[in-house]
Amino acid sequence: MRDTMGIIFTESDDVTLKELTELRSTAALPVAGRYRLIDFVLSGMVNSGIINVGVATKHKYSSLMEHLGAGSAWDLQRENYGLHVLPPFVSHEQYGILGGEIDILMGIMPYLRNSRQRYVVLSEGNTICNITFRAAMDMHKKSCADVTIIYRKEKAENLPHSLVAEITPEGRVTGLEYMPRRPKSVYASMDMYILEKELLIRICESCAARGEHSFVMDALVRNLSNLKIFGWEYKGYAGRVDSTASYFSCNMDVLKEEVRAALFGQENPIYTKVKNRIPSKYGDSAEVSDCLVADGCVIEGTAENCIIFRGVKIGKHSHLKNCVIMEKTHIDTNCEAENVIFDKECLMREGKRLIGQPSYPVIIRKGTVV
Amino acid sequence: MIRPYERGVYHLHDKKCLAMILAGGQGSRLGVLTKHIAKPALPYGGKYRIIDFVLSNCVHSGIDTVGVLTQYQPLDLNTYIGSGQPWDLNRNHGGVFILPPYLKTGAGEWYKGTANAIYQNMGFIERFNPHHVLILSGDHIYKMHYGKMLDMHIARGAAATIAVFRVPINEASRFGIMNTNADGWICEFEEKPQRPKNDLASMGIYLFNKDILKKYLTLDEQNSSSQNDFGKNVIPRMLEAGEKLYAYNFDGYWKDVGTTKSLWEANMDLIRTPPRFDLYDPDWTIFSRSTALPPHFVAESALLSNSIVTEGCEIFGRIHNSILFAGTKVGRGARVCNSIIFPGAKIEENAVVEKAIVGSGTTIKRDAYIGQKDGSRQWINTICEDDISIIGDGLIIDRGTRLCKGSMVEKSILTGREVSGAAYA
Repeated sequence: MRDTMGIIFTESDDVTLKELTELRSTAALPVAGRYRLIDFVLSGMVNSGIINVGVATKHKYSSLMEHLGAGSAWDLQRENYGLHVLPPFVSHEQYGILGGEIDILMGIMPYLRNSRQRYVVLSEGNTICNITFRAAMDMHKKSCADVTIIYRKEKAENLPHSLVAEITPEGRVTGLEYMPRRPKSVYASMDMYILEKELLIRICESCAARGEHSFVMDALVRNLSNLKIFGWEYKGYAGRVDSTASYFSCNMDVLKEEVRAALFGQENPIYTKVKNRIPSKYGDSAEVSDCLVADGCVIEGTAENCIIFRGVKIGKHSHLKNCVIMEKTHIDTNCEAENVIFDKECLMREGKRLIGQPSYPVIIRKGTVV
Repeated sequence: MIRPYERGVYHLHDKKCLAMILAGGQGSRLGVLTKHIAKPALPYGGKYRIIDFVLSNCVHSGIDTVGVLTQYQPLDLNTYIGSGQPWDLNRNHGGVFILPPYLKTGAGEWYKGTANAIYQNMGFIERFNPHHVLILSGDHIYKMHYGKMLDMHIARGAAATIAVFRVPINEASRFGIMNTNADGWICEFEEKPQRPKNDLASMGIYLFNKDILKKYLTLDEQNSSSQNDFGKNVIPRMLEAGEKLYAYNFDGYWKDVGTTKSLWEANMDLIRTPPRFDLYDPDWTIFSRSTALPPHFVAESALLSNSIVTEGCEIFGRIHNSILFAGTKVGRGARVCNSIIFPGAKIEENAVVEKAIVGSGTTIKRDAYIGQKDGSRQWINTICEDDISIIGDGLIIDRGTRLCKGSMVEKSILTGREVSGAAYA
């Protein structure tokens, strides 16, 4: 796949994710104990042999840049190509309004043009999955498609906020509807697309010339009859994070053995930033069941069904149930929390109580003292 | 010797201090644990290798050029250190270098002793033309700021400075003892004395002025009766010649993991409350090569107390007073107690592991019992002190095997009940 480059968009649903994306882009959202959302698709690209990846940011990208660094954790710190974090760029080709993907792509046009790869994998960085692009690329080349959409069978409740595709048994896409009220098929785009770089540049230029912003709406849906669009089905686990509820349920999914096996039990590892935290320590009074626990934690209380990120402390006689507890949050003694998402560096003082609902988890903003 | 910058390779200043880490030791008292790896590459504390401590100390002390001298089973160490990136030692000028013995015109030999190993690499040292050379052991666990030692060395105008720490006087006869006057000038050095006069033991950390080091290593090399050892030969010779040798007092945690007992204890020191050795210090992080593994999973059936667990573990059983390394699996109903489980080992359902060190990638099959009071005495070995059992790397201990405490297992124990032709070691 040395003839392919990757572009990852970082800010898709930052409105519906509320407080969680107040200070960070969607792709930088911490998930599954030690990862950020972008790790999954970025590792997928690396595991497919892609060595030139551009991360196209829009705003609020400082925590993302902090996380990615020079790309060494993904083995993308290279002399040739490697990882490029691309801040939004206002050029003479793009007049400063970042409406959608087309505007972002116009802003990074010099990077696109200077890269010598023939194909591009475009992806949103908002899906938890373990994907490689080799098979989809083979299909793209064999079918001589203009664009290949990577899709999956989606749950019925998620279809009304997806790009739904009608696909023939041969894989040709014959219908595309964005957020349909009555979906005509069960196949939803994973927001991952393969196309030739030259075609992408042409599409961007013609869309920009007509004042169009959205890659999905303007480049694909409107051009369905002009483009030869194929689909490739991804059959593994995928969890798309596009709302606080899906953020919560995607994290809880990782507690299931089959999901962990699908994400982490394969030959393709998911890479993430290394923090050199020491292993986690369990005290004498710790009672932990069905939890995912990262390094650097000190656990002395009780935790059930929780995702516990790096450097979390849970004090004695505290009881946590169905919680997502992000990095460096400290839970003091005698606390109780259920269905709560604690953002990073929160502090829950002694004896406090917080109860949310599975469908409507309480979100505690970064750095809050409860 | 033409130095690289004289050849126009790079135009950079000389190094102030260069570190040489002796990492070729076999660690024969660790039995099967060091069968395939050198002692500095032994796992420690859940996610570290012992050499991480000296490497991290060097980096925190501002030493960016480090030679690692390997000889015994270097493969694990070579791949572990790699480019030195985890320690920030992948540098344009300097960085970490693996230095195995090599052939020279007409000659070429193994490292005969610690001093000879450095002597054979004088060419490497001179390439960087350091003012000082720090000689370190790759198999000690401690946190130390070598920069402070270097400052003191320069301030006193010493020829060499040797780091020392206080040991209980009744144990002093196991160490090299420094007899110093009030301001730390070493007047006498005794290697493992019968009647120690002092309790200041050498830590095997030597800081030399480069030119003096070169002089005495060359002299030592010319002496055919020398064992080419720093402690036994070079330091006594320097004392005889009246060089200014100073002791540098270190009063932190220091552990030489030479034996099964000390390896076990050094690990257990981390799980005491408060820990005897604190790794949480944000200003002195111990760096290590990380695995790309997910956080560990603790199932409903699991019970954990007073233990250390790291990434990639899947725990369904009961863990008490133990240290689990990356990617270990403990099955339902299994019990691990007072034990150290090296990376990737599997403890299957209902197996019991008591006071044992289980090697990397080893599988303890279901219902097996390691460290039982009245188990099979076939594998009892004197290497195992204090009734610690040790199981080698990549082995399979078959279903229902019962091993008495103090056993050392080098080969898979297959009872034949479950042989399926899989990749048995």
